[in-house]
Amino acid sequence: MDSQSAIFSVSDFITHVNMVLGESWDMSYAVEGEVSGYRVSRGQWVSFDLKDDDTLVNVFLPVWNLHIPIEDGMRVRVYGKPRVYPKYGKFSLSAEKILPAGEGELKKALLALRLRLEKEGLFDPTRKRELPRFPERIAFIGSKESAAYGDFVRILNERWGGVHIDVYDVLVQGDRAALDVAQAVRRTQSIPYDAIVITRGGGSYEDLMAFNDEALVRAIHASKIPTLVAIGHERDVTLAEEVADVRASTPTDCARRLVPDRRDTLYELQVTTDAIERAMELFLEERRVALAHAMSAPSLWLRTHSVNVSHLAERSLSAFDRWFASLQERLETSTRVLASYDPKAVLKRGYSILRDADGKKIVSVSNLSFNQKISLTLADGDAEGTITKI
Amino acid sequence: MPKKSEKKVDVEKGFKELEQIAAWFEEGGGDLDEGLKKFERALAISKDLKTRLKEAENRIQEIKKGFEE
Repeated sequence: MDSQSAIFSVSDFITHVNMVLGESWDMSYAVEGEVSGYRVSRGQWVSFDLKDDDTLVNVFLPVWNLHIPIEDGMRVRVYGKPRVYPKYGKFSLSAEKILPAGEGELKKALLALRLRLEKEGLFDPTRKRELPRFPERIAFIGSKESAAYGDFVRILNERWGGVHIDVYDVLVQGDRAALDVAQAVRRTQSIPYDAIVITRGGGSYEDLMAFNDEALVRAIHASKIPTLVAIGHERDVTLAEEVADVRASTPTDCARRLVPDRRDTLYELQVTTDAIERAMELFLEERRVALAHAMSAPSLWLRTHSVNVSHLAERSLSAFDRWFASLQERLETSTRVLASYDPKAVLKRGYSILRDADGKKIVSVSNLSFNQKISLTLADGDAEGTITKI
Repeated sequence: MPKKSEKKVDVEKGFKELEQIAAWFEEGGGDLDEGLKKFERALAISKDLKTRLKEAENRIQEIKKGFEE
């Protein structure tokens, strides 16, 4: 017996088992059950138990194969293959695709995911940032072929100009959409954008499902750049919109929220400029008044003083005049008095001066002698004579 | 090297500066020379902003998908 037995190495055995299991199972088969113990490790590997009443099987898959929110208690259909994981010898259902067992299940799971993320604080309104008022450079993440893109660009051009837009053309529906969008969000992080716009137009519940993807929601939450998200129509609110800093209802609304209307801004600019011009006029007027006030004091002082000075000058001048007049009068009087003392004037009145031969004045007859020579001075000339009688 | 005149006007900063100048004048007081300088600056910013706002085109560039992820 023993000699006929085949001897397998452990790894060969597992390879053999996996081959047999693989052949025995059709990929179109699905296993339906309830999720339990759902967890994501290192952001890459999803595992949970799929249960019946008494039975369970481990389900294992990479996170990028999961496109619906999964929560414990949810009923799902798992497509994949049975497999023993060689490293641990653990049997699991290696999933390729997981679908909700019904739309009701999906809604329930989505609600549960929403509550979980909300509890974690991802939708906290206090952490929401405002978009810059005048963005210069933005990232557009969406399908370049879509009507959403056309609407966004058209409205943007109508309202504003000079914005640099980098378009990240991504899939916006289907299995790869969430991953595609999340990758684009991560790529934008190294570029100094003022805002990231993520948008797509309306679609079915399933079409919009990519924007409820947990990994995408977390990528948007982790963005250092403010995010503006509009998915579908106004009535559809995806988790990507809830986590965004600003939510817009449609791609058109996105453009409106992103940039101001240039007419409004020009008007605002005019109002501000006018206000500054008026303020400047007032500013100058205040200074003119202040200057006039400052100047009036010295000029008043000057006026007062100039009046004083002219009064003083007038007074001095008249005093001088009076002094001069009296001086002149005194001079004239003195002249008259002096004139009266002039000996020539006396001679004119008929007197004469008698001198001896030496020129000495003789004022008495006692000084005269007989035959003495004398000289006479009259008003108009001199004469000589001899004393003949005393 | 782009010439200085080609440098893009920062609309946000421009508006902020204009608002600050308006507030400075509203507060009153201040030096005459400073006031004149601020007024000239306000007129220059206003002119730049008006020119910038009349810019019609938005520039669109497609970012090629990276395969590094």
